Amino acid sequence: MSEPEPPREPSGRGADVVWSIIGTLVAGVLAWGGIGWLLDRWLGTRYLVAVGIIVGMAGAFYLIIKRHGGG
Amino acid sequence: MTAATLPLAREGFHAPTIEEFEWPSIVDLHVGGVDLSINRVVLQMFLVGLVVWALFFFAFRKPKLVPSGLQNVMEVLVDFIRNQIALEVIGRDGLRFVPYLATLFTFVFLGNLGGIIPGIFFPLTGRMALPAILAVCSLLLFVSVGISQQGFLTYFKNALFPPGMPKAIYILLTPIELISTFIVRPVTLAIRLLANMIAGHLILSVFFVATGYLLTSGNVSIVFGLGSLVFSVALIAFELFVAGLQAYVFTILSAVYIAGAMEPEH
Repeated sequence: MSEPEPPREPSGRGADVVWSIIGTLVAGVLAWGGIGWLLDRWLGTRYLVAVGIIVGMAGAFYLIIKRHGGG
Repeated sequence: MTAATLPLAREGFHAPTIEEFEWPSIVDLHVGGVDLSINRVVLQMFLVGLVVWALFFFAFRKPKLVPSGLQNVMEVLVDFIRNQIALEVIGRDGLRFVPYLATLFTFVFLGNLGGIIPGIFFPLTGRMALPAILAVCSLLLFVSVGISQQGFLTYFKNALFPPGMPKAIYILLTPIELISTFIVRPVTLAIRLLANMIAGHLILSVFFVATGYLLTSGNVSIVFGLGSLVFSVALIAFELFVAGLQAYVFTILSAVYIAGAMEPEH
């Protein structure tokens, strides 16, 4: 009766990947930015929060590339 | 609406603010220092809960082989959740989560829908308490699914130490995974729904108040008032779409998180 549907990506997977990437980036900044901020308070320095944010971003990018990058 | 906007027309235009979301308490109730006062939002929450219960109860109380009426509508809904969300995202094991996902979708959708129902005009999910508690439900569900499917230690090991990475990099990744899985997931789930409903309700309020103001201020602005009126109707249709879409996104992401907890990453 009707033509067989062509195989397609399951719906919702696209949104899943996008939100997972955004979530990981936010989590990276929050986690390592938070650690940097705590270290700043503890050591009395001012730059570790910035270092933390950059480290967190780098970690998040690594995780995203490992997880979604053409695997 | 007109009763509220007529005085505004005399005083000049006042744009609605976030105070649109504050409702005075109807029944003051404090139990052991906890504020359990009942206001309009709480009553609306009871109403939506009752409607969700009634929809499912009366649709499937005496199910017929050839469904008609309410049973037909609810079967389409449950079929959609079952095929498009549970089977598609989780797979055959997802069938046992259909009751949770279908109830979640219906409750969120009807909660959102309050924003455009005449006489209510307030989205229940525009108050943080509702999206937050639903997000916590989904969090507790996917964590307990993970623990029961993989075992306590294995689940947290897989969640915090994603397999297939060099060992040294875990120092960098584990804090990110901890925050991302157990904090960012529920928080974004709640905020996405909340922000969409707040924005939608504020836009609708602005257009309603502006329409009332322009139509009653009695000069050439009546022309713009008519334009604003037409746009309000279009926005109601758009809000109907947003109500469905956000309920769908909330449900499908809950399903995705459950699916992720069923088996370790590959």
